[in-house]
Amino acid sequence: MKKILIIILLVFAAGCAKKYTKAPDEAVKAPEKPLMEETIEMKEEVIEEVEIPADEMVREEDMASQEMSAEEMARQVFQDILFDYDKYDIRAEARQTLDSVASFLNDEKDLTIAIEGHCDERGTNEYNLALGEKRSKATKNYLVSLGTSPERITVVTYGEEKQLCMDHTEDCWQLNRRAHFVVLK
Amino acid sequence: MRIKLKTEKLEVRSNKSEFQRHTFKCRVLICTIILLTITPFSILWTPYTVDAKIYIDISSPAIRKLPVTINAKGSTKARELEWITKADLEATGMFTFVDPDVPGAEIIANMDVDTGSGLRVVLSVNDLIEGKEVLKKRFDASKLIIRPMAHSIANDIYKVATGKKGVFRTRISYLSPLPSGRKGIRLMDWDGFNSKRIVTRGLNSSHSWTQDGKYLLFSSERNRKWRIYILDFKTLKESILFSSKGLNLVGGTSKDDMVSFSSSRDGSSEIYIINTFGKKMKKLTRSFGIDLSPVFSPEGDKIAFVSDRSGGPQIYTMDSNGKGIQRVTFQGSYNTSPAWSPDSKWLAYTGRVNGKNQIFMVKSDGSEIWQLTMTGNNESPSFSPDGLFLAFDSDRDGERGIYIMRNTGEGQRRITKKGSIAMSPEWSPYTN
Repeated sequence: MKKILIIILLVFAAGCAKKYTKAPDEAVKAPEKPLMEETIEMKEEVIEEVEIPADEMVREEDMASQEMSAEEMARQVFQDILFDYDKYDIRAEARQTLDSVASFLNDEKDLTIAIEGHCDERGTNEYNLALGEKRSKATKNYLVSLGTSPERITVVTYGEEKQLCMDHTEDCWQLNRRAHFVVLK
Repeated sequence: MRIKLKTEKLEVRSNKSEFQRHTFKCRVLICTIILLTITPFSILWTPYTVDAKIYIDISSPAIRKLPVTINAKGSTKARELEWITKADLEATGMFTFVDPDVPGAEIIANMDVDTGSGLRVVLSVNDLIEGKEVLKKRFDASKLIIRPMAHSIANDIYKVATGKKGVFRTRISYLSPLPSGRKGIRLMDWDGFNSKRIVTRGLNSSHSWTQDGKYLLFSSERNRKWRIYILDFKTLKESILFSSKGLNLVGGTSKDDMVSFSSSRDGSSEIYIINTFGKKMKKLTRSFGIDLSPVFSPEGDKIAFVSDRSGGPQIYTMDSNGKGIQRVTFQGSYNTSPAWSPDSKWLAYTGRVNGKNQIFMVKSDGSEIWQLTMTGNNESPSFSPDGLFLAFDSDRDGERGIYIMRNTGEGQRRITKKGSIAMSPEWSPYTN
């Protein structure tokens, strides 16, 4: 998905470049690369073409996975999931991540993981530890509901003790309100 | 004009027995102090018979400031001793200082300082109105330990003026990031000096003194396990008090050596009590949401705690058997970290107003609320053992640091160094 988005963005960027730069030739050259040709088609016939490159992307990933180490795979699967302020329910958009985590764990039967619950800096430290624990447990429960064995998941809270992002902005607070996966074995 | 409230007779002491008693006391003092790496010093009273007068009634709503002269001489260290003593007394907001050669003081405290070998101070406190000496005392230390000596002298002057015990020899434990980034526990004097590391392992969070001041209970995360540990100040050895799966956070201690804590061993975070040997555990709350930060009232009959059973976190009280739960805070939607005042009448806590955390005091029945801080984020209030001061942390000057203020919100000042990060202060009980 991400790659498609990037490609779309590139195309748009290229489009923009045409309008604003004095050297349109360079922008025109870009489609000569095979990848770009495909995406230009995609831009023209939006609905159908989104589907096709998506399949191609999957194929690409499958090819890559043969070379990719388990660690790299894990890094791609185990993305942080984010939470609302002072909440610990799993957001709709986090489910996709959790679904791929669950299926990855289903493929890698002997893998065990830890889920760390984190909070932004605004609450008080002790309450945030309790809130972080709720987040890690909610995440674990979701994976268990998808068939992952609870014995394979350790939960731990760090409250606001291990901040990922140090600015005092909403963007930063959002990145910090997270459940983070750590592969133990 | 002097407000004269009550008089009481100081006990008449016989010379010899008093001397013996104090020699014994000193030995106890040595034990408690060695671990804090302060050289012990002995105190010898000159026996006295006098009508003790209260110069300042600190329970009076409008305290007048007592004009005093503090005058130390006899050594180059005398000035330093005088400054520290004055700073202690100044912080109470109860004194104004009058220069020695200016009239107007009602009390004069003269210190004769001798640094010939170690440190010897003879303190003489005189009532200038009545024209008589009200206290004479000799302090001996085998080493040149200015700060503890000055704090002891300040305690004595404060006792003469108010009839109450001062807190100038108490200490504050607090959290501070180690080079690893994880929080360790440190200990410092009440005025922020003499800071030293006491817990360096793990990621540390809530902590609480036992009422005898000999142990510190603390919560620490090590290898993804949150356990409650107990640290012996004498040996600086730590051992596990409570361990289970989930989050285990110590709350407070009672005068009969019970420890209140929260644990999510059964799923959700609930309040428990246990004794300092890790025995006689009792579960006190059963609710779906988060219950934590339980603190015993000074009498040990009540426990204040935080619960989100109503939606957001609020302060509640209950009897120490878990019955009679009452909600105390109704203002605001995020109220945490309760602390009892030593007279049991008030709870200090951290409340969220306009997106910032502030320190509040609420009557323990919820009937009256005062906001004590206004700028920055202010968290984690802890009362001094006499209830006159609160320690808390604040980011008002940038980096989070420890501050103290009087229970009126007056006299707020940072006691940890600017630029060094410090938070979550816990004031010790009286330690000697």
